Amino acid sequence: MTDDTVRALTTALVVGALVLCSTVALASPLVEARPAHEIPVAERPGADLADPTAEGWTSVPASDVALSSAPSSVPNADDTSIERVHVQAVRSDGQFYVRLQWDDPTRNVSAGTPRQFTDAAAVQFPVNTSSRPPIAMGGQDNRVNVWYWTGNGGTQELLAGGAGSTTPFTSPTVDANATYGNGTWTVVYARDVATEGANRTDLGSTDTLDVAFAVWNGGNDERAGRKAVSEWHYFLTGSGPQGPPYQTLLWTLAGLAIVTVVGVTAFGVLRSRGGGN
Amino acid sequence: MSTNEETNINVADGVDHQVAMVMDLNKCIGCQTCTIACKDLWTEGGGTDYMYWNNVETKPGEGYPRGWEDSGGGWQGEQGEAHTDRQPGDIPSREEYGRPWEFNHSEIMYEGSDEPLRPRDGAEWGPNWDEDQGAGEYPNSYYFYLPRICNHCTHPSCVEACPRQALYKREEDGIVLVDQERCRGYRYCVEGCPYKKVYYNTVSKKSEKCIFCYPRLEGEGPDGETYAPACAEECPPQLRLVGFLDDEDGPIYKLVEEYEVALPLHPEFRTQPNVYYIPPYAPGQHTEDGESVDVDRIPREYLRDLFGDGVDEALNTIERERQRVRQGADSELMELLQHKNPAKQYRLGVFDDD
Repeated sequence: MTDDTVRALTTALVVGALVLCSTVALASPLVEARPAHEIPVAERPGADLADPTAEGWTSVPASDVALSSAPSSVPNADDTSIERVHVQAVRSDGQFYVRLQWDDPTRNVSAGTPRQFTDAAAVQFPVNTSSRPPIAMGGQDNRVNVWYWTGNGGTQELLAGGAGSTTPFTSPTVDANATYGNGTWTVVYARDVATEGANRTDLGSTDTLDVAFAVWNGGNDERAGRKAVSEWHYFLTGSGPQGPPYQTLLWTLAGLAIVTVVGVTAFGVLRSRGGGN
Repeated sequence: MSTNEETNINVADGVDHQVAMVMDLNKCIGCQTCTIACKDLWTEGGGTDYMYWNNVETKPGEGYPRGWEDSGGGWQGEQGEAHTDRQPGDIPSREEYGRPWEFNHSEIMYEGSDEPLRPRDGAEWGPNWDEDQGAGEYPNSYYFYLPRICNHCTHPSCVEACPRQALYKREEDGIVLVDQERCRGYRYCVEGCPYKKVYYNTVSKKSEKCIFCYPRLEGEGPDGETYAPACAEECPPQLRLVGFLDDEDGPIYKLVEEYEVALPLHPEFRTQPNVYYIPPYAPGQHTEDGESVDVDRIPREYLRDLFGDGVDEALNTIERERQRVRQGADSELMELLQHKNPAKQYRLGVFDDD
């Protein structure tokens, strides 16, 4: 082995080590980022968060949930205007709070004339949390609970088993409070984590609770199936189940691949230079 | 659509018999007794103040709600085609229905004002704002009255428009109803009805409409007797016949199916209405000297716009039968149009034993 060859190998190893270090360093924050559809549920014992402007909400992590027009047969179903909603969730002393925030330049709180529609928002859970129902109002064998707030002050707790089957509970157990300012609605829903009676979601039954969201802009005549909806997400309570570390594995493999390529390239370059001598 | 086994009438799928009404426009005097009879019975509560399940409007005219004929709804396609694609429609504004006016009662009654009693500002439109205005120039101006209720259509686009199936056609008689338990106030029915005969209750936040007085048909009143809808029974000139379209022995069947003199309003909306009209038969035009001339006072094209192309034959038939009577002959058609016997005018119990 000549000095040149030794030098080339040494250089390749040093460069490779540097690349590996930087790759792992860059990758670490990404590995720790939340999966796209995960919304953490913060534990805040003793906090009263029913007020949308409660100070306690500032320390609760928020997730940005994308919305798009729901597939629907109603006229102009594609014409919806709200594109995202910020979601926060908290468990506190047996209460489950969900806070939604979204931008809406018009505050529509009356349906008092034939052409007026109210702003509204809804949170949807599977009744049976062990399986994920069809996103559009659930299915006949796989129903959903919907917490439905409207801008004219009403909150309904709904049961649905498919589009068009929405039925209000006669004794709702969900409260909602809302505030509007600077073109933004903030709505907080509150319900006991535990539940009694049939057809209501037991919010404590799983650490990964499926959830979806919908927002209606009344000023844009949005109502019924003309609404902006999310895909299914899930509320993660605690650290959640530990799955295989796919991302760590992927980044390690990628790092090794880069090291190999850099090493081989450096070796080849140096060797060809040596050959030129 | 299915054909009733006992008759050759097409009624809607899943409907045993179809209630129907014939209104003879030649008898309407525009007194609004039908309107008030209906309102007293059904739309006096909060949120229903602006509703007229029955209204009488002047034609030609904007109608109620204003411009309803151009507000969309109904079905796309030509007559005879399948009912697959609905026509988009609009929800009329509160102004188009007309707002209640404020009058200067307090100034006159309590403040000694000697100004005339009149509406305060804002009286710019209302039901019958253009009453008796009509069209044409003196001495050939013309107008007629058009009473309107829900048509309880065979292909009701309001029913199809509802994403919750809150509207439905009753199996026993085809009356179109809104299930108040299912309705969530989305108002797709309001925009889907081309006649704008579904209304949004601004207090209950649900939609409502003419129920063809079904409790009266069912004898739910204090005396247990069966009555025709209040708009028909209370009509001073008794211009309405009420019964079933598929009752072959009844006057409605004869007028609609045999003589074809009773026509649906705006058949091009393709909902197949079950309220039919005897078209108005006006005297001919006059010259400035007062001579009668053989020119239609009400332009035939206008009547075709309202009642379809069948209006020509219908008016010809009526004229022919009138002529027969003038010449001393009998005419079943003229007899039918002159019924004064409620037992014949309202045939409601014919299918009770089915």
